[in-house]
Amino acid sequence: MFYVELLLVGLVWGCTYAMMALGLTLVYGLLRILHVAQATVFTLGAYVGLLVANHTGSLALAFVAAALAAGALGPLIYRLIYQPILDKPPFVALVASIGVLIAMEDGFRLMFGPSGLSFADNTWFTTTYSLAGMVLNLVQVWIVAAAVLLLSAFAVFAARTRAGVAWRATVSDPQMAESFGVGVIGVRYLNFLIASLLAGVAGVLVGLLNNLVEPGMGGVISYKGLAIIVLGGLGNVPGTLVASLLLGVVESYGSVFLDRVMDRDAIAFLFLIIVLMVRPQGLLGKAH
Amino acid sequence: MMLEGNRLSIAFGGVRAVTDVTLRVERGELVGLIGPNGAGKTTLLRLLTGVLVPDAGSVAFEARDVTRTSIHRRAQMGFVLTHQIVRPFRDMSLLENVMVAAAANLTRRPWRALVAVEAQPARARARSLLERLGIADAADKPAHSVPLGYLKRMQVARALALGPRLLLLDEPLAGLNYSEATRLADLIVELNAGGITIVLVEHNLSEVTRIARRLVVLHNGAVLAEGAPREVMTRKDVRDAYLGNEPAVGAAHA
Amino acid sequence: MDYYLSVATFGALNVILALGLNLISGFCGQVSLGHAAFYGLGAYAAALCSVAGLPFPVAVVAGMLVAGIFGIVVGIAALRVREDFLAIVTMGVGFLFLGVVRKQQWLGAEMGIAKIPSPLDKWGYALLAIGAAVALVLLSLHVRRSWMGRAFGAVAQDEDAARSIGIDVAGYKIAAFFIGTAAAGLAGGIYAHMTQIIVPDAFNFIQSITILAMVVIGGIGSTLGVVAGAVLLTLMPEMFRFINDYKLLVYGTLLLAVMRFSPEGVAGLVRRLARTAQARGGRRPA
Repeated sequence: MFYVELLLVGLVWGCTYAMMALGLTLVYGLLRILHVAQATVFTLGAYVGLLVANHTGSLALAFVAAALAAGALGPLIYRLIYQPILDKPPFVALVASIGVLIAMEDGFRLMFGPSGLSFADNTWFTTTYSLAGMVLNLVQVWIVAAAVLLLSAFAVFAARTRAGVAWRATVSDPQMAESFGVGVIGVRYLNFLIASLLAGVAGVLVGLLNNLVEPGMGGVISYKGLAIIVLGGLGNVPGTLVASLLLGVVESYGSVFLDRVMDRDAIAFLFLIIVLMVRPQGLLGKAH
Repeated sequence: MMLEGNRLSIAFGGVRAVTDVTLRVERGELVGLIGPNGAGKTTLLRLLTGVLVPDAGSVAFEARDVTRTSIHRRAQMGFVLTHQIVRPFRDMSLLENVMVAAAANLTRRPWRALVAVEAQPARARARSLLERLGIADAADKPAHSVPLGYLKRMQVARALALGPRLLLLDEPLAGLNYSEATRLADLIVELNAGGITIVLVEHNLSEVTRIARRLVVLHNGAVLAEGAPREVMTRKDVRDAYLGNEPAVGAAHA
Repeated sequence: MDYYLSVATFGALNVILALGLNLISGFCGQVSLGHAAFYGLGAYAAALCSVAGLPFPVAVVAGMLVAGIFGIVVGIAALRVREDFLAIVTMGVGFLFLGVVRKQQWLGAEMGIAKIPSPLDKWGYALLAIGAAVALVLLSLHVRRSWMGRAFGAVAQDEDAARSIGIDVAGYKIAAFFIGTAAAGLAGGIYAHMTQIIVPDAFNFIQSITILAMVVIGGIGSTLGVVAGAVLLTLMPEMFRFINDYKLLVYGTLLLAVMRFSPEGVAGLVRRLARTAQARGGRRPA
């Protein structure tokens, strides 16, 4: 039973990774930018969600506000920071992105204090279900539900709607799409919007899960998100989802069995390095 | 025998790109490799130069098997290629681009290169090669700022700086205007007369039939015809391949 | 006096770290986000040697070699991944180092190693660090002039083209990683003996980013620019006390501003200003 519980906990984490990593894959796939600053969007979502929840007492409002704030910040980062340096070598955007991340992390610390804030009334955290000897709380259930819902909504959008088809065409061949009259610029904003909405919601959920929102909460999860897009294989959406869940599970088992040797973050990156040595193209990527 | 590609085959995801191709080049030859778009010329070249490893078959350079020898080792052995799409070192001047190749004996091993500072011989050699290619006027301009025609010829100079015995040129004339192309084609003949064996992949049929002494025609990933340029170009199956008419069944075997 | 000596020593160590990274990322074009791990490897290896009773010079050289050997391993691993992903892999190496060291009882886990013997006084460390920094500046300038530097440039600008002119791309990348990480190991060895205590967190991701910030703010690829960047980022928090409270805010904003407005750093800015000044000066007589 213990093993099954670890599996479940791992899958829950995998779902939060998936919500982060999908956006990172979209941005990388279209612009070849390693969007580390996504962590800032995630953390902003968490803070806005917490403040709104604590003032209004409504989690629904908290999620809406977090999504709005995150959805505004991501495209803004693209417009103000990435767009003017798209023609520069790739490390330029990466370093700029890291700059945003650590500056904003310090900004959150100055605004909200270093030790983090908790939800005044976190009923999702305190509501627990026991299932065949295992205990899950409502936040964990919602994380899985949110990941499934949002990612399915994304899949339907990409496959069924006009905007989705235009989006896919642009991702696979920007020049071709442009010659058919698809606005490439609009698609870029759309990518950042989707990525940011997912990150903002994930931020609130992780805040609820730990019952803590702190300045540095986004950093490690976004570094792992980057590891996942590498694992999944280059802008490959199904690969990213598989890698997210797998990484969650590997960490979950690893942090129990390798606890004496290394910590959780080290396990994640060791897994990345081992996979890349065996399959440099990623788990589901094509060779060459 | 300078170069021998022996029964080379490769497939990408089940699609056969090159099937059972054998290509022999004697010392001193100037061979033109032609064929319509999608015939497998570039793939064959990549197999010969080591960018791709064949699923079956082998490549030998001066009777030594090099099928799995790395590209830089082949270049050091005297088996040199130029890229179809220009690959300059963008932030170096044209002169510096050629200098790095001219100093190949110094850069062969990193630790040896660390103690080598003398640049004058490489600079002199690079300059004379730029002159030979007729682009010395732009020697000190950074590569990212000169027109394509210059970069195409710089690549040939860079390849020559390595002192090759076998030169594989991938569409060296593409992007050059008529007089530039003619001049470079004449230079290729001259280099060949000077002792360098040359394999030329080229779309410019009039130039390639003018300068090559033997043509190999590739079609659908296999050798369709080979021989003296005049004879090959008058063959019906070759014309059909270029005009897009599939030869009647059996005709290809005729 | 003691205060100025310790600032000078840290400044010199930062110069060593930044020039080592510049060799890997600036000269050879291999982006690394995990340079602090090699700083840490050198520090831990040297500390263990000294605690075990080996003489100071042996300990420092051991730190250099351990860092350099791990650098070679990472360099070999780096050959297998595409360039964009190297940043992620090296970042991962940083987290892996930290996550492993934190859990090792024999390395003191979170508490690190204390009571490292200290054979020199403040003047001694300052002179040693500055001497090593000067040596590394000279090495960097030499590499740039040598054929190794030109081959690094070829590898950085176009790997395929470099291969086709006979350059052993893998060999050069590994050489760059070795020299650059061994330099970090040297800095680590001096640091460990000077402070006499090392903890894992001194070698975390933020430290890697701080080193990277020195390189890119100074001007990636430019030896003198990088020295200026390292000195600037060492002195800034010391000169403006208030910056210490907002250190990461300032670093982050600087990184962002430099990448956004002058990706070639201070060195690029100086070059550009010199060129405009020259152009103006040239126009006036005409």
